[in-house]
Amino acid sequence: MKIVTVLLLSVSLYGIEEHKESNATGDLLPLELRLNGKSTQAAFGEAKETALNVTAKLTRNDKLIAMGAIVSPAGHILTKASSCVGARLATLANGKVYKLRIKKRNEDLDLALYQMISTKNDFPYISWSESNSSDKVSWVLSAFTELEEIRVGITSGNKREIGREGGVMGVILGNENDRGVLVTEVIPQAAADKSGLRHGDIIQKVDSRSVKKRDQVVNLVSKKDPGDVVTVDVLRKKETMKFRITLGHRSVTFDLFNRNLQMSGPVSKRKDNFPLIIQHDLPLPKEAMGGPLFDLEGNCIGINIARVDRVTVFSLPAEIAEKMTAGLKK
Amino acid sequence: MLRLVITLLLGLSILHGDVVELDAWKKKSPSDITDLLSIQKRLRELLPKAKKALVSIEAGDGAGSGVIVSKDGLVLTAAHVTGKTGKKMQVRLPNGKRASAITLGGSEISDASMLQILGNKEWPFVPIARKGDSKVGDWCFGLGHPGGFDKERGVVVRIGKIIAKKDETMQTDSRLLGGDSGGPLFDFEGQLIAIHSRVSQKPDQNFHVPIESFHANWNTFRDENLISYDSMQEGGFFGVACEETKDGLIIREVISGTAAEKAGLKTNDILIEVNDEPLDSREEFIIIISSLKPGDEAKVLYERKGAELSVKVNLGVRPSIKE
Repeated sequence: MKIVTVLLLSVSLYGIEEHKESNATGDLLPLELRLNGKSTQAAFGEAKETALNVTAKLTRNDKLIAMGAIVSPAGHILTKASSCVGARLATLANGKVYKLRIKKRNEDLDLALYQMISTKNDFPYISWSESNSSDKVSWVLSAFTELEEIRVGITSGNKREIGREGGVMGVILGNENDRGVLVTEVIPQAAADKSGLRHGDIIQKVDSRSVKKRDQVVNLVSKKDPGDVVTVDVLRKKETMKFRITLGHRSVTFDLFNRNLQMSGPVSKRKDNFPLIIQHDLPLPKEAMGGPLFDLEGNCIGINIARVDRVTVFSLPAEIAEKMTAGLKK
Repeated sequence: MLRLVITLLLGLSILHGDVVELDAWKKKSPSDITDLLSIQKRLRELLPKAKKALVSIEAGDGAGSGVIVSKDGLVLTAAHVTGKTGKKMQVRLPNGKRASAITLGGSEISDASMLQILGNKEWPFVPIARKGDSKVGDWCFGLGHPGGFDKERGVVVRIGKIIAKKDETMQTDSRLLGGDSGGPLFDFEGQLIAIHSRVSQKPDQNFHVPIESFHANWNTFRDENLISYDSMQEGGFFGVACEETKDGLIIREVISGTAAEKAGLKTNDILIEVNDEPLDSREEFIIIISSLKPGDEAKVLYERKGAELSVKVNLGVRPSIKE
């Protein structure tokens, strides 16, 4: 087997660990000097300390589900709404733990405002960036999940709106005729599959409206959001059947087929329908969403709102996220 | 107190006025916010020119990226993006304009390949680094069209450092995604140092084709030769495993029963020339040997313990990879 490898003269096979061993000359860059190494992190100085002190870990049953930005001295925490459902406790960098109370939710922006239950009125809190961040490439940083380290990177891609994706059944549609639209494939584990739809079924009605074209089915379904229910009438072997399907997320449903996402690890369920986002490349897991994003001065320029893939995070810019904290005493 | 320290520091720098301050991106690691700002400023300066030469390459079922390196529209990209030679493809510039292109040659070994944009136009292009310009620890930035061209999003920029460089492969912690393949990696002089090749399972250890792989085989690729593992099967076989080091192309293993063993080559011999062609890279050596046939004679110049020796080797048949 070893011979075969040598014959292939393949370079794609050496992993980093292997490389380390075979490179006695020290040709591998030590971890601390890398983009997210300790030494690079240290250069962020006070911005790093700020990031750690004003970010909170939100947990449910001792499990990290999201992170949040402390936005007031009274301990208000702003976070990603769809990630923090059932959040019970907030843990700060100093190790202190507080119970949480929900104050406000904004489904449009996918933001939620909590407050730590405490008589304290001197929590360290974020200062929002006042300059509307430009499209120019800039350093950014966020606290990492243990509130001991940060992750650093740059903004990349333009600030822009991310359109709405709409819900999906998780089927691939085929031939269309007077009787309806044929289901040629049902994606395993997706919404339609869970409700019992099968390939070969002919969709005749969606929410009691007759459908004869693929577009009609797609339009009726995508008007609804993930989590909404559609009623579908199908013809199966001369028998008419009715199914109630709770729609899924397009990204989660179809991206199972997408190689990029197979390699990405878990991504945020909701990553669409935002009025404006900043794109950056911080290596953060989906449980770190909801946390604040900072510039080099330690000002908060946004709230991390969606882990899109292995190299992309969207953040809601400060000018939009800040609205959720209007009226809070500083 | 802080003021005092600053005053003292200023004083020191005046005393040592002749010491030239190293650019922030040339330091081993940035020491403070000032260094980070210098790196950011430098990146902003270099980006416009680098972006202009970026192309998105559209194949029927997927997309990749590439970069223009000459006024007449020569594009460097990845072999797995272009596939065959002589294939018509479409490229898109950052402004969205499309142009026709035709694939030239490349190599599956390094994943390097070339593409020529058609038509008598002048194209924006980027300078290419020389052999050995980039080294482990250098800052770099990558461009690409992950997932294909997207006007709203624009070009995606990512920053990182070179974490390893060996033979036909460079590794960085600059992030990559499908569709970035074939896109350019630049140093902080704005020179092209590599082409994005493969993503690694770990997002901070991605693979690139170093520019050295193009330099060593420039004419071979340009003349529409595509070196594939399949085509290598027909070629001659030498029978060594070697590695590029700063001393040259060193033999790490001689496989028993092969032409190399019969000719008396040994581990730690350094390969210098084959048929009077100086060897610039491991890949070039493989390409030359595979371009010959089993039974052909190859004249090999090598170094052993400081002495240059020459030997004529009768090439063997490459053992089949397939069981």
